[in-house]
Amino acid sequence: MSPPLPSDLGYIPPDGGWGWAVVFGASISVGFAYTFPKAFTIYFKELQAVYSISYSQIAWITSIMCATTYGGGPISSILVNRYGSRPVVIFGGLLCGIGMVSAAFCTSILQLYICVGFITGFGLALNLQPSVIIIGKYFLKRRPIANGLAMAGSPVMLCTLAPLNQFLFDNFGWRGSFLILGAILLNCCVAGALFRPIGAPKIQSNEEVKEVLKEEVTKDAMEMNSSTNIPVETKPEEEEAKDCCEKINKYLDFSLFKHRGFLIYLIGNVLMFLGFFAPIVFLAPYAKHIGIDEYSAAFLLSVLAIVDMIARPATGIIANSKWVRPRIQYFFSFSIAFNGACHLLCPLASGYKGLVIYSVFFGLAFGMVCAMLFETLMDLVGATRFTSAVGLVTIAECCTILLGPPIGGTLIDTFGDYKYMFIKCGAVMVLAGTFLFIMNYYNYRMLAKEKRKAKEEDPKSVRTESEGRNNLNKDTAQDGPELEPLREEQERLKKEVNGTNEV
Amino acid sequence: MPARCSGSCPRRLLLLCLFLSLPGGSPADLAVTPQDANQTHKNSLTRMPTGLKSSPEPMTTTQTVNRQTWGGSISDHLTVGPDASTPGPDLTTLEFKQDTKSNTSHGSYEKHEVVLSGDSGHAVVKNITLDRAVRIELTCKLDDKYSSLKVIQVTWKKGNETIGHINKTENSWSIQLTISDNSKLGSYNCTVKGEKEFSVVFHLQVPKIDVKDKPVITYEGDIAVLVCKSLNSTPISWTWYMTNGSEQIAINDSLLLDKYVIDKVFPNVTQLKILKLTSKDDGVYWCEAAFELGKSKGKMKLKVLSLMVPLKPFLAIVAEVVVLVAVIFLFELYSKRREKCTEIEKEFDQTEQLKSEESNGVENSSTRHRKV
Repeated sequence: MSPPLPSDLGYIPPDGGWGWAVVFGASISVGFAYTFPKAFTIYFKELQAVYSISYSQIAWITSIMCATTYGGGPISSILVNRYGSRPVVIFGGLLCGIGMVSAAFCTSILQLYICVGFITGFGLALNLQPSVIIIGKYFLKRRPIANGLAMAGSPVMLCTLAPLNQFLFDNFGWRGSFLILGAILLNCCVAGALFRPIGAPKIQSNEEVKEVLKEEVTKDAMEMNSSTNIPVETKPEEEEAKDCCEKINKYLDFSLFKHRGFLIYLIGNVLMFLGFFAPIVFLAPYAKHIGIDEYSAAFLLSVLAIVDMIARPATGIIANSKWVRPRIQYFFSFSIAFNGACHLLCPLASGYKGLVIYSVFFGLAFGMVCAMLFETLMDLVGATRFTSAVGLVTIAECCTILLGPPIGGTLIDTFGDYKYMFIKCGAVMVLAGTFLFIMNYYNYRMLAKEKRKAKEEDPKSVRTESEGRNNLNKDTAQDGPELEPLREEQERLKKEVNGTNEV
Repeated sequence: MPARCSGSCPRRLLLLCLFLSLPGGSPADLAVTPQDANQTHKNSLTRMPTGLKSSPEPMTTTQTVNRQTWGGSISDHLTVGPDASTPGPDLTTLEFKQDTKSNTSHGSYEKHEVVLSGDSGHAVVKNITLDRAVRIELTCKLDDKYSSLKVIQVTWKKGNETIGHINKTENSWSIQLTISDNSKLGSYNCTVKGEKEFSVVFHLQVPKIDVKDKPVITYEGDIAVLVCKSLNSTPISWTWYMTNGSEQIAINDSLLLDKYVIDKVFPNVTQLKILKLTSKDDGVYWCEAAFELGKSKGKMKLKVLSLMVPLKPFLAIVAEVVVLVAVIFLFELYSKRREKCTEIEKEFDQTEQLKSEESNGVENSSTRHRKV
């Protein structure tokens, strides 16, 4: 029998080294996935004129793109579970490139929907999820920082893509721009190449390593091998169990819906996204509505992006500190509620100065939420199940993300005033924040209770239960905050050096 | 639309019509127009900086080119308040827009007033856009703070021609004009001379055409769409011209049906579609809007590129991607090999160590033997 694993991964993540290259690649991928639909809106006017269509028809392109990016999450998760992050991201990059290049030769709006909407959107989906997943495989102790840095790719990419798109459009027209954008999107393949696979070493090398084990002082590598022996041995037993659900769960873990932390996260986030994106969409029109000129209104968005860029890594660093990390869920709910409070106070902002202050706070709050979006999910479900969790969460969020701005737009049209949209967004987010806060308090208490129970029982039985994929074990302390197991693991290492470990 | 006085109504009858229609009249009309006016007011305010920054080429209108300068402390009223020169009800905002499609438009009456309230040092300019024949009243009025100012002379001029018939009230001087054709458009100058001198210029002109100031870029074999929009007013007709050398040739779409298509998308928007583009289609295009009072032109530039132009950056970026991916994979292979080598070396060292430990006894004895 082997000791419980620090982070149900099966090995100790490097927390550095090549991991930083992975973070860089992830920031590129995430940046493209989030900012490409936004930066694409520059081409709308021209396309409207060329194809003689209305604004709502052309806006379908970005809606389809967003929907495919989020809706493709589960497929992405399945592919990553099967093939690992690297091939999926490289394939995604190729798909994006092919989509945009074929869009350059389109002759009808329907072809544009397919090429830009579906193909590029799906390619971006294959970029987004694996990038976030692989961070969890390379980092544990410094994971919040890594997540914050990776998510910071989004505002950086926005600041570069938007003027770049304008430049391309002025010099090459829309067809040439699509062609060159296709090439630029191929850079996602470069990001994918950086995602060196990491994980427990393969089964073939077990034999050699066993021999080394007998003669040497134990190291981390050996721990990996000794622990993976057991899942390998239980595998044939599982398949004989004739449970097709188990097979499906291998590809996409639907048993997550029984996970308390996952459900809390899902409900809270689905609620939050109703009011998350609408203020950004309507900030510039609101500024113009109260009499600010176009350039100053665009400047507001730049202020937002710059503050966002700084806020994300900073939040990562704060979230990684020893005071915040164990209670990261509270920090997350606080930042959501803070975001909501900003929106509620926005109608009070009068004039340009007020709006600039609002943009600064909004940028800060937005960055805080985005930086911790995936980190909190990883914290709740653990890095191995995160692969499936992220796919399920994104497809659920897909609906509310798409509904948010149109609901805001309807409110604006009905009342003729932007303040109701801000009030709705603010209220929804404050509600989501409070819900998450309360439910996570409950969750933390339940986890602490379960841990105490587990310790009171035979410690060996806890270890055996933590292996394998039984439904009962999903709610054990292993899936909770992962810092305590780290400390326990360090103590165990010391014991092993003294030769108390068994092979 | 409520019944309106049409034709050449006396002014007072018209005012009475207004008075009657105001309280219970179609709210849509009068309620909308204030907003519209405010909107255009705001639009012109907000559009101003962009106009200044992007500095479009001067539109060749048949009128003088106008400078849009707003004196800092001059307040400009589009609304005629209670201190209007004519007694009567409180008439709010009257840029009457008769967006009728009928041609009974000669009964429209516009009032424009500029209140001078400070020294801007230079003349105040007000631009008035007229798309159809109107009767117009231009007023320059001194602000209340100058009510004690002694005014010696007020002159209204068009160019060098002085206009008589100035209606004077307490602090304002106005002239009435019937703008029925192109010649009546122009710049009307009001100069108030006294202890201080004020000057206002009213530019009466046809509506301008809104065009994209950046060149439209298309490719050979593609379709180009050139759009011209007339702001807030519907012209009688549109004509498109292409430049051949220094001449402007009208484009007749009925002649070349498979090459040019002229569409009227909205009443005030025209679209020229050029099919089967070749490099010969590259150049400058003009769209001309004909109004009752004159014509207004907009200039557009069309560039036709070959596909090779964007292909070069495309191939450059693809090459960069391939090189980077190759470098990353090679680096990974290299570092893996190095790791394996060091691992093999370590194992070798350890086995050597073990062997030496095992055979320590033998060796020691052998060395002892040797020593001895």
